[in-house]
Amino acid sequence: MIKTRLLQYKFILIAVLIYGVTFILDGEAAIAAVNLFFGFIKEMVQILPPIMILTALIGVWVSRETIVKGFGSGSAWRGRLLSLALGTFSAGPIYAAFPAAAMLLSKGASVSNVVIIISSWAVVKLPMLITEASFLGLSFAVTRYVLTIPMILLLGWIIEKQVSSEDFPFHKKAEKIEKINEGLPQLNCKRCGYASCSEFAEAILDGYKNVNDCAIIAKRKGHEEQEKKQ
Amino acid sequence: MIQSIILYGSVLILLGISWKKDKHKTKKSLGMGKQMAKGTLPEIIGIMAIIAWVLAIIPEEMIKNVLGGDSEFLSTIYGALIGTVTIIPAFIAFPLAKQLLAQGAFLVAIASFITTLTMVGFATIPLEKKQFGMKFTILRNLYSFLAAIVIAVLMGVIL
Repeated sequence: MIKTRLLQYKFILIAVLIYGVTFILDGEAAIAAVNLFFGFIKEMVQILPPIMILTALIGVWVSRETIVKGFGSGSAWRGRLLSLALGTFSAGPIYAAFPAAAMLLSKGASVSNVVIIISSWAVVKLPMLITEASFLGLSFAVTRYVLTIPMILLLGWIIEKQVSSEDFPFHKKAEKIEKINEGLPQLNCKRCGYASCSEFAEAILDGYKNVNDCAIIAKRKGHEEQEKKQ
Repeated sequence: MIQSIILYGSVLILLGISWKKDKHKTKKSLGMGKQMAKGTLPEIIGIMAIIAWVLAIIPEEMIKNVLGGDSEFLSTIYGALIGTVTIIPAFIAFPLAKQLLAQGAFLVAIASFITTLTMVGFATIPLEKKQFGMKFTILRNLYSFLAAIVIAVLMGVIL
């Protein structure tokens, strides 16, 4: 768990290293890089926090059945259009689409629709179409959009044929959570701060909690140690 | 900016409705949001810093030469490759594309550059892999790259 947490910071560590070296070798270039970086951060702060909360709200409030009905394999053309619309009217760069799309996938959206959401999130945007048209001409922008949308639908269709649900991490994660959960008391006492033992199990898997944070298990272990001493 | 105000505003309204309906569920969703942020932010920030560095040290001249080279087809492939490895906000990318076109870059090369710029993300592969696994990530990026070239070539035929 500690290892995975350290791994999360590997890019930041690499960045600190190369920025440090660049500062020594070429201060001007380093300052330009820092300015660009702050531009990125600004864009991120404007978009990412609300998207994450929105994703979590959908995760809590919208039932699996609703997602399956809207975006599942049986949703056909209505699902495809819905996915296209979701991607189009959302905001932010492509990496903002990942948590939201992954949540829909784990709740039963089809692979094809997830591809459509991610791709249209990245490419099909009304404000971007206007910007593109104003710089590169209306015919350039419109032609590119008209060609891109069918291509996105095609991408979804092809990728769905080649990727199965076992290839996705959440599939393995669900199995791991179940395994940890089996060792918990199942009293859902909430003393760990989570609503149920299975949620606590997920927190353990993610490295935020330790099994010993469960009051009942900690107590049980304490008793066992006392017995050993006697 | 307006986009972000609308986004923050609507999320706040939804949170308010959610809080009124069920405090516990709302707390849970905020916790989920926090975990999501904890899980992805260190990687996103690190990757953004590295991309900013790469963009800052690559001279613009180089991009110009590559996108307006001798062969239109090669320039298109290069355009797609440059778009793949970089992430540039649209408000920088479109003015840059216009400037490159005026300086003699091929239209097809610019089209493939813009399409891969948004749809294919080499730099964000670690983020995508974490959510969707290696197979999905590689396939989606690979096919999107090919699709971008097809789109660009078709644009060259039409325009």
